[in-house]
Amino acid sequence: MCWPRWGVMSVTLFKLSVRNAKRQARDYLIYFVTVVMAAALLYSFNALTFSQEISTLSKSMEMLPFMIALATVVVVCVFGWLVAYATKFMLLRRGRELGTYLLIGLENKQVAQLFFRENLAVGGCALVLGTVLGGLLYQAFRAMALALFKLPYTFSFGFSLPALGLTVVCFGLIYLFALRRSRRYIRKANIHDLIYSDRVNEGVVIQTANKRRWMFGASILLGVVGTFLIAAWNLAIATAGAGCLILFLFGFFLSFASGVPAFFDRRPARKYKGQNLLIFRTLTAKLATMGVLMATISMIFTATLISEGTGLVFRGLFLGRAAEYTCFDLYIGMEGRDRDYSLYQNYIREHIPVEQSVEYQVCYSGGTQVQDYIETQTAYYNYGYEQDPVLRYSDYAALRSIAGYRTAELKEGQYLIHCMTYLEGPLKAYKEPLTLGGVTLQPGGLYTEPLSQGSENGRGYILVVPDEAAGGLSVHHQAYAAKTAEPVPYEDFYNLTVVMDKIWEGTGFGDQITTRAQEEAEVAAQTALCVFPLYYLALSLTMTAATILTIQQLSETQRYRRQFTLLQKLGMGRREMAKALRTQFAIYYALPAVPPVLIGAPFILHLAHAPEPGVMVGASSPAVIVCAALAVFFLIYAVYILLAYTSLKRNVLPA
Amino acid sequence: MLQVQNIEKYYGNKNNVTKALDRVSFNVEAGEFLAIMGASGSGKTTLLNCISTIDAISAGKILLDGVSVADLSEAELAKFRRERLGFVFQDFNLLDTLTVEENIGLALSLNREDPGAVKSRVREMARKLGISDILEKFPYQVSGGQKQRAAVARAMVAGQSLLLADEPTGALDSRASKNLLEIMTQMNQDMGATILMVTHDAYSASYAKRVLFLKDGRVFNELLRGDRGRPVFYHEILDVLAALGGDVSDVI
Repeated sequence: MCWPRWGVMSVTLFKLSVRNAKRQARDYLIYFVTVVMAAALLYSFNALTFSQEISTLSKSMEMLPFMIALATVVVVCVFGWLVAYATKFMLLRRGRELGTYLLIGLENKQVAQLFFRENLAVGGCALVLGTVLGGLLYQAFRAMALALFKLPYTFSFGFSLPALGLTVVCFGLIYLFALRRSRRYIRKANIHDLIYSDRVNEGVVIQTANKRRWMFGASILLGVVGTFLIAAWNLAIATAGAGCLILFLFGFFLSFASGVPAFFDRRPARKYKGQNLLIFRTLTAKLATMGVLMATISMIFTATLISEGTGLVFRGLFLGRAAEYTCFDLYIGMEGRDRDYSLYQNYIREHIPVEQSVEYQVCYSGGTQVQDYIETQTAYYNYGYEQDPVLRYSDYAALRSIAGYRTAELKEGQYLIHCMTYLEGPLKAYKEPLTLGGVTLQPGGLYTEPLSQGSENGRGYILVVPDEAAGGLSVHHQAYAAKTAEPVPYEDFYNLTVVMDKIWEGTGFGDQITTRAQEEAEVAAQTALCVFPLYYLALSLTMTAATILTIQQLSETQRYRRQFTLLQKLGMGRREMAKALRTQFAIYYALPAVPPVLIGAPFILHLAHAPEPGVMVGASSPAVIVCAALAVFFLIYAVYILLAYTSLKRNVLPA
Repeated sequence: MLQVQNIEKYYGNKNNVTKALDRVSFNVEAGEFLAIMGASGSGKTTLLNCISTIDAISAGKILLDGVSVADLSEAELAKFRRERLGFVFQDFNLLDTLTVEENIGLALSLNREDPGAVKSRVREMARKLGISDILEKFPYQVSGGQKQRAAVARAMVAGQSLLLADEPTGALDSRASKNLLEIMTQMNQDMGATILMVTHDAYSASYAKRVLFLKDGRVFNELLRGDRGRPVFYHEILDVLAALGGDVSDVI
């Protein structure tokens, strides 16, 4: 008799699980979408890891799987936290329903199984949908990677089995961790615990005004100190700074929520003005129990913003540096004077078809007048140039031709300045004459195209003088630049370095060899290595935090509906209600985002100023990077805010 | 003050129509205390919702001070509810995130009263209703009777002229009910408040000056208290309810 009864029961439980899973996906749509996106992100990045095509793009790209694997560990933890939080949240919200199952005779074990199955069903669906979406997302990442290497992209949809396997493992870990906790909770819970679980508060509200004030003041102080410390170029100090910032966030959110009612209580006129009363009370009721959560979310947002900003800084750094070095197809800068570079010449003659080339010398002017002037105008490091560097006009004209720039005219009795863009401002205003070997030259013009000026053709600037004026000048170093018929392949670049090693064998010195192709590949690889994992992290973090905020907000739908129905009866117009809802929404979502902006923006700004001058310019200038990082962050955040707002507005405002 | 003229209210669709109100007509004078009685499903709450503009009528007219509420725009309706009507519900309907003082002050705040004067006006109203000592508390920290007095305070604090009460004693014990009804009577007599109270409790109705009886959506009978004492009026109400038939056990 027992067997059929258990069979019937199992079928009923299965049906109930399926029905509940459907309801869960509907009620917590935003959470479900995020889990789908999580699966998509995991799959697409795993696919990048296993892609032969991507890893063979360049030698350095072999590091990409390792970088992504590191990021994946963090991402699995972050999504694990999201699923654990959301599962526990739903469990508490549905405590009454689950308690009722116990009341009508189901065993704890069965209820736990029911909950486990329905969550597994939701997770399974999300995994399937996410993998399909991840396949498309992978194509987008693939296209980006190929674009970085300036390679053509063709769409080819296919599934990577190893990537799918790893995604299933990651997802399994995420879900098993979350569900094990819920399962344990249900198995131990009694009916009373479950039925009254929705009345349990999440955090502690600090009641004492003194304690609150002390905590608020101390947290602000820690926030300011922490923001300065994390910018220090010292790991121990920066770690201490991060600790200060974590303490700041927790202190701030725990004291803030309980401090607002006290603030308004002392100012009744402000409290009863307009919709202040409604907005602040609705918010503080929510925040009072969410202090710890808000602090955690704020911490996640800070990490997101820093990840996004750092990614952009690295991208800017690589691009900025590369711009200087990719102007010549082949460049060799040779240390010392009167050097014999026949070994290089021999190799190039035999292996590399050259269309145009120049061998030239960078000389010293005999003075430091331009360097002295620059130092009074901006931050400048001479990088081994003890005097102003000088280039013969004929060599300069050849270099411009090789780089593909228009001709620069030099009139008799004049000199030109060629500099990096960051020195353009100060040097435009420089009108001093230059005296070389008894000849005085007047300033004739300024050019700013990339010309290997990191340290090769001068440090940031070089003076271009008539050939005859450079006659007796001392040589700083010799160099060779060439325009080749084809991009110089990696093998030739490598062989040239072998030649260099032979020349300098046992001395510990070396020459500067760069090829446009190698530099571009290196930039692409470095960009991919830094930007992909950092944005992978940033995306996962933003989605997790925004989803938790949204789940919290949407879980109040019924209470808000009751509230607005009552307010309608009390004579509040629909427009006013919508305005109150909007304001409350704006504050709720702005609150955890404000500290990250205050911490993240100065940090990114500081980081973007770290590279040598002249690199972070134009689209990579520090201010642009901060704005871009903020824009990316708020763009993703805004999607969640908009979804939550439209859903809540539709469901809570009376028709 | 209030004229209800032949109003009808239908619910449902063309296949299944329920007539909740059927040609109901009556007038309410300013300063009157009127009770509307009837068994469950007789249309009491529907009538109240129509008068309060929460629900729209299917036919007929409701005039307040000669103005038809059906002709008012959405903004005018909101203004009308804010300035003229006060609501008291069976389940209090106080906002649980607001203290008692803030719940009462909310009505003034919505009415765009001077924010600086809100606190003093709330305290003045609380004093009249005997709830001064619970103003700092949240609704879940006070008793049902205190909650209902707070709801009355909210309904009257902005100087609303018509108080609509839907089963105000429904969730209260007998002592708290008596206390509340005495307060409502006092507000009616001393402050000139016009009160329209829906109830199915004969004891509560006996505090009114006039009682309208609804049955199946129609006005079945009307009782005027006149100079009689409240206990006598109470028994007369019971007699009418007995005549309504079948529902006496529901209404006592």
